[in-house]
Amino acid sequence: MLLFLANIGWTMRSYKRDGYYESVLGFQHIPKATVWAFYAAFLMLLAVTHLTSRSAPEEFLLRLPEWFKLSVDVIFRDARIYFGLSVAAFVGMIVWREFLTRDTVGWILFNVGCLFLGLSMTDYDFRQIVGKPDNVPIVGMLFIGGYFTWLYFKKAVDNDRRVAEGRPLAEQELKEQVLVWPDLVYTEMLCMILLTALLIVWGVFLQAPLEEPGQAVKTPNPSKAPWYFLGLQEMLVYFDPWLAGVVLPLVIVQGLMAIPYIDFNKKGNGYYSFADRKFSVIIFLFGFIPLWVGMIVLGTFIRGPNWNMFGLYEFWDVHKLEVLNNRNLSEIIWVVNLEQPLPKPDPASGLISQCLAIFMREGVGILMVIGYFMALPNLMALTFLRKFYVRMGVIRYMVLANLLLFMALLPIKMVLRWAFNLKYIVAIPEWFFNI
Amino acid sequence: MTDKKPSTAEIMAMLRKKSAEGASAPPPAPATEASAVPAAASAPAEPAVTPATPAAKPKGTADIMAAIRAKGAIAPVAAAPPAPAAGTPASGTPAAKPKGTSDIMAAIRAKGAAAAGVAPAAASVAVAVAPKVAAPASAGKSPAEMIQAMRAGSAVVTESAKPKFPPKSAAAGKKQELPRRSFPAVFFELICTPYYMAWTLMSAIGGLWGLGIARFMMPNTVLELPSKFKIGSLGDFPLGTVSEKFKASRGVWIVHTDSYDGQNVVYALSSVCTHLGCTPSWLDAEQKYKCPCHGSGFYINGINFEGPAPRPLERVGLVLGADGLLEVDKSLKFQEELGQWTDPKSFVRVG
Repeated sequence: MLLFLANIGWTMRSYKRDGYYESVLGFQHIPKATVWAFYAAFLMLLAVTHLTSRSAPEEFLLRLPEWFKLSVDVIFRDARIYFGLSVAAFVGMIVWREFLTRDTVGWILFNVGCLFLGLSMTDYDFRQIVGKPDNVPIVGMLFIGGYFTWLYFKKAVDNDRRVAEGRPLAEQELKEQVLVWPDLVYTEMLCMILLTALLIVWGVFLQAPLEEPGQAVKTPNPSKAPWYFLGLQEMLVYFDPWLAGVVLPLVIVQGLMAIPYIDFNKKGNGYYSFADRKFSVIIFLFGFIPLWVGMIVLGTFIRGPNWNMFGLYEFWDVHKLEVLNNRNLSEIIWVVNLEQPLPKPDPASGLISQCLAIFMREGVGILMVIGYFMALPNLMALTFLRKFYVRMGVIRYMVLANLLLFMALLPIKMVLRWAFNLKYIVAIPEWFFNI
Repeated sequence: MTDKKPSTAEIMAMLRKKSAEGASAPPPAPATEASAVPAAASAPAEPAVTPATPAAKPKGTADIMAAIRAKGAIAPVAAAPPAPAAGTPASGTPAAKPKGTSDIMAAIRAKGAAAAGVAPAAASVAVAVAPKVAAPASAGKSPAEMIQAMRAGSAVVTESAKPKFPPKSAAAGKKQELPRRSFPAVFFELICTPYYMAWTLMSAIGGLWGLGIARFMMPNTVLELPSKFKIGSLGDFPLGTVSEKFKASRGVWIVHTDSYDGQNVVYALSSVCTHLGCTPSWLDAEQKYKCPCHGSGFYINGINFEGPAPRPLERVGLVLGADGLLEVDKSLKFQEELGQWTDPKSFVRVG
């Protein structure tokens, strides 16, 4: 087992060495290339050392320093810092897109990613989680998703610059060229062969992660959804099952279907662009990267036994104790602020008096939710979405505003949970209705 | 009309000539084409259909209609005092050989329109002709098409003018015979039509299938364990402990605690998380139930305090039997938020 894991580490290293080697050849400027050459030579020496002397991953020459591990652990085991940083990274990605999309910077980012992964493999706990056959595709997804996002921004930045300078778009310059035979066909065939080979190798070396037969009374700990549903599972931590499991997924799907009808911006059609479609791109990427991919990463690598959060290099301790006591809004208002017992509906009394008691208890929360969905769209129409309202008309604007508010519901609820230990804004367990 | 086709113009010219002659000339031998009419015996009169244009061979619906309309326009003039059997709206159909139901219907409608302008007598002739016209043309067609054509013909009649006698179709013939038969016979005959038979058979087969499926809801043997089972005496469950003995087999924890309402009681908690139905684990060191799916946490008495679970764990029934053994009844369910934990069946008081 250890040998196998060590091999993973080595392959990572030799892979990196090859990658760097090519990059050195790619650079023509001598002074820059020398830096890369030294770097590559260093990595190559390292790889040769490890390839010749077989040793356990814990004894690699280059390992992550403990302080680095500790700080990463602190960041990742706290949902607040994790989410805050992922949003900050998202904002940074958009603000500094021109810098980040330079070739060299992109390459450095890729190196840092590989280096981080390869070095982290020397840590036992990290290896246990990331090396699981379940989680290998997610690592791949991170690299692929990162690459395509980078590629989009690169092309968009290029086009925006062209527009600003009055030059034709990159897509229009190449309009006359149709490279089908043999270029496209050849590429497709190569892709097909390489992907088939990759899948075969993958299938041979990584066994399917089958588990023992299921039992009704025994749930694995932690018990995780398929990786693509981990975002939903993360939502379930903050919402009631019917909301996070039924309503919100439906809203997500319907919202995606509604995009063509909501979108009135005719620009950016058929070419990459950021400046022409700032609003759409930012909203989509925010929903996709921090709220979906970020949640998948969180669910895969950070959620451990008992659904506690663990740092990347932390041992998954079943008995890790986290204080997560939380309260409903009604309890905060009645018990903490008013120092009175919660009004409780008497099951023997009539329906109307029960409703009244429940409304007494949850009234503030109910009004808040109603206000959120009824008043906020109007306020938004009057303020920063005024242009949208004028362009779109009432119905389309309301659809857009409500979809935005639904999307904002998740981060809002997360922040409320972290800041005030708030469980539900409206909690009516009698009717299985909680928000 | 159809100016594109020069042939139509020719045909129309010919038709006009012919009809002018036909009005004055004596009618030809009636119903010579009757051999082509299979069920024509039921037809009321024997209207003579004048084969107006045996020479003209129209090629399509457009041609036929053109011819018919032209004739209809002439008809009021030429055939104002018609003999009933004269067959004034002599359609060109026998010669024209219409190719489909649509052709026939178009012809019939045109005729009806023409007849409306003439005296009712003429209309009745048209009615009499209509089924005839339909019949030979659709000799190779299915019965359904024939019936359709007939109905179309009769509909035209009712719209245009009142016929002197009703057109005799197959259905009308049956209705006329109704009073002579007894009710069961009529009912039987109704049931025996293919339409009703098909539906009756289908619903009968569907009902049988439904019954067969319903039978599966009541299996011969049930592998479920009975909902009531004995778990031992009170002494087996010391204060402040959670027994996981029956969790794997029956899905209940046996809890002995005094942390709920300060009463020293034993009760059985269902090991199903109230959030999404996973099975929480009892963590003895932390003295809490913790769900591995979304991190819900419950105190030892089952009250929720962390994670997303909206309500406490559910109790199931527990009674102390006459033999001194505790008996769990999983068919009963007690929810704290509904105030059901005060039910005496939901716990056993100790001491």
